[in-house]
Amino acid sequence: MELWIYTSRRLVQIVIIFFVILTVLFLLFRLAPGDPVSRMVDPNLTPEDAQLLIEELGLDQPVWIQYFYYLKNFLTGHFGFSFHYGRPVVQIIGDRLPNTILLFTTSIILSALVGIFLGKIASWHKGEKTDTCLTVGALVTHTVFLPWLALIMIWVFAYKLGWFPITGMISEEVWLDPDAGLWPKSVDILHHMVLPLTTLFLIHFGSYLLIMRTSMLETLREDYILTARAKGLPEKVIRNHHAAPNAALPVVTSVGLSLAFSINGGALTETVFTWPGIGRELVFSVSHNDYPLAQASFLLIAAVVLVSNLVVDILYAYLDPRIRY
Amino acid sequence: MSPTSSVTIESFLKGILCLAVAMLVLLFPGLSGTQSNAASCLKIGLPEDPRTLNIWLASDRNSRNILSQIYQPLYTRDPDTLKLVPWLAEQEPVFDAETLSYTVRIKPSKWSDGSELTSEDVAFTGRVIKDFRVPRLASRWNFIKRIETPDKHTVRFYLKEPKAIFLSRTLTTPIVQKKEWIKIVEKARGTEKPLIKLLNHKIEKPVGSGPFILKEWRQGCYLFLQKNKYFFGTGRRISGRILGPYIDSIIFKIYGTSDAAILALKKGSIDMFWWRIQAGYLQDLKTQKDIQIFSNEKSGLYYIGFNVRKPPFNDVNLRRAVATLIDKDFIISRILQGLAIKMNSIVPPGNQFWYCPEVPRYAEGLNREERIKKAYEILRKAGYTWQLPPVNGQGKVVKGKGIRLPNGQPMEKFTILTPPADYDPLRAMAGMIIQEWLGMVGIPASAKPMAIGSLIQQVKGRRQFDSFILGYGRLDIDPDWVRNFFHSSNDKPRGWNMSGYKNPDFDRIAEESASILDREKRRKLIWEMQKMILQDVPYIPLYNPRLIEAVRKDKFSGWVGTLGGIGNIWSFCEVRLN
Repeated sequence: MELWIYTSRRLVQIVIIFFVILTVLFLLFRLAPGDPVSRMVDPNLTPEDAQLLIEELGLDQPVWIQYFYYLKNFLTGHFGFSFHYGRPVVQIIGDRLPNTILLFTTSIILSALVGIFLGKIASWHKGEKTDTCLTVGALVTHTVFLPWLALIMIWVFAYKLGWFPITGMISEEVWLDPDAGLWPKSVDILHHMVLPLTTLFLIHFGSYLLIMRTSMLETLREDYILTARAKGLPEKVIRNHHAAPNAALPVVTSVGLSLAFSINGGALTETVFTWPGIGRELVFSVSHNDYPLAQASFLLIAAVVLVSNLVVDILYAYLDPRIRY
Repeated sequence: MSPTSSVTIESFLKGILCLAVAMLVLLFPGLSGTQSNAASCLKIGLPEDPRTLNIWLASDRNSRNILSQIYQPLYTRDPDTLKLVPWLAEQEPVFDAETLSYTVRIKPSKWSDGSELTSEDVAFTGRVIKDFRVPRLASRWNFIKRIETPDKHTVRFYLKEPKAIFLSRTLTTPIVQKKEWIKIVEKARGTEKPLIKLLNHKIEKPVGSGPFILKEWRQGCYLFLQKNKYFFGTGRRISGRILGPYIDSIIFKIYGTSDAAILALKKGSIDMFWWRIQAGYLQDLKTQKDIQIFSNEKSGLYYIGFNVRKPPFNDVNLRRAVATLIDKDFIISRILQGLAIKMNSIVPPGNQFWYCPEVPRYAEGLNREERIKKAYEILRKAGYTWQLPPVNGQGKVVKGKGIRLPNGQPMEKFTILTPPADYDPLRAMAGMIIQEWLGMVGIPASAKPMAIGSLIQQVKGRRQFDSFILGYGRLDIDPDWVRNFFHSSNDKPRGWNMSGYKNPDFDRIAEESASILDREKRRKLIWEMQKMILQDVPYIPLYNPRLIEAVRKDKFSGWVGTLGGIGNIWSFCEVRLN
């Protein structure tokens, strides 16, 4: 099958899947108990005023009419206003998403690079002290409870040692200073990023290390490695140029998907470090029945994951033509 | 293999070390930016960003806290006596019984943009609320027939009928600037959904008349407020206090968790955390020499409510027996670690004028055994029977079993809905303990934690429940909500009479209390209503958590404590550098 036919088929499938997600999301939020107005526990809100609010929000309409407007709005690129913020959800997501991408994408790339490197070392030293230390270390850091680690990091490095700010993304001292230019502001963000980034790095690098180690051990048993050794190639060349690039493929797949999912941030990390990302907003919008914000956020995640999958599929199909059939 | 690898590991670790050192040097505090030189800048921690600066939409606590520095009402409450005192108003309102009107004179004051605040602004505010039926505010204004502005500093309100809440609620509404809002309002009026259009309007720099104005808001990070040089109160004596503000600015910093905010407070990164300090942090904070703890009563009510529309709680005797079995002192001392006030009535005792101390009390001072015996007596006399009564023939307390209703039917297991432990562990725990106490008499209760949204929907919307534990943390000082909570006309979906309580005598007194203008006479009615509620117990008031707040005392002083804590307009007008 030609690559373009395969791609077109996958594209149609993805559009159908996206439509299903679109519908399921709509139904899921409507099935959740309560509505945005029921959360307003204020004795000054009379039932009549609450009803008016419900009507103005369009929530008094039959579900199928709401669904129709939902689809229409989606197709016209209008995601509506957040019930609680009173702002377009596109603006809210637009404000928060770059912060999430900055922190989480950096942490994933950094974790993957270090994980691949250390995984390679561990597998090369299989059964030795280096391997034991790296594997145990990876397991420990990977399984640590994230909020606990985050709080310990804050307590030691921000509170006790005072090296870093306690939480947040920027310092008002820098950002309110009219003379502060781009450099001090960038440095300020980096300064605030160190603790959350280190925490995420410690949590994530272990999984990449373990995947790389396993993959590398399998690769080292392949015939072409034996051939390389028989040819008398130096060990370093065999490890770095013959084994590692092939062994790294599963890690790259894992990184690709992690990057796609990174846009949903991490509510826990963002909360503990007061990082103004999308993760906290996701949790808030779901718990407060803020349908437009929750729907748009989840749709964005779905779209990015589906597109990432499509890209990976096309790449695989290109690299390995057997997949097309 | 090994020598090559060792070299690689070594170089890698060296690389990491160099990178770390470089980062530390580059990012070390002090090198990364200028330090704040604004000495009289008060730094306050907030748990979340305000959701909005649009005053009509603002319903969350953080938005209201910020906006309370900006938009001001005609009257406010004295922090000590809780009586209304003129704020933007010049003097007490003048009532004309013949025309059923109130005339209010306004102080000469200015908006933060330098323009004059006039009676037109006050009338405009009222008209917007009325015309758009702004949620939460409309109920304070819907009885106003018309608003006149005889001159720039006089505003006259004509009422459709006498309303007690006019003074305490209508005249305490924050006033907005007509100039800022007129175009927005006119634009919204012409749309299909005017209210939503108004609520969704984005306000970036609100024009206010309060002590501070917003200079910058970096969402998710901080809000920067500066002293309003046009603030009408500066240098003026109100309620015996000469008002500032005595600080140049306030920075509100966002902290996602209490843990981080407390560390920031201890470290001096903030001067106050505008949120309730939980008991777990208290001991540590008390040992800090630069930290001052404030403990104030909240205008709150935490209670257990019953569905009195259906068995078993349609029987007042069962409700009284439950009230007898609940040991509030135990809940306060063991669950709330003493950081709460026992609620005997539904109005908190800190609301001194309206609180009725003469309400019926159940099992005051009795121990567990005596409570069980008393509850048993109440139920036995009402016709309840047991397979195994909780008090045996020798008068000893045993575990009761097989309770039957007066009609001979076995009492079915019922649920006590509580918020989940991750939302409020104290109420979840209280529900479990009450379940145990009822079980001792053979009453088959089961505490069921439920997501707060579902709980409210179940109780307020669907009305499918037996009993529930809920609470209000910020009730109005004016107790008109007592009428709201128990008047039979509010027993409807989304209505506030969640218990379904119906008592024609209560309705009559409640209606009278809403329309009587004499404060003393109204107090008698409100007291009567409290007595009736405690007699019929559709709600059993449990406790009112104390509001513990912490500030740093090494830099600023002058905090004013009142019902509802130190985060009030008086504090921000009085706090000054040491």
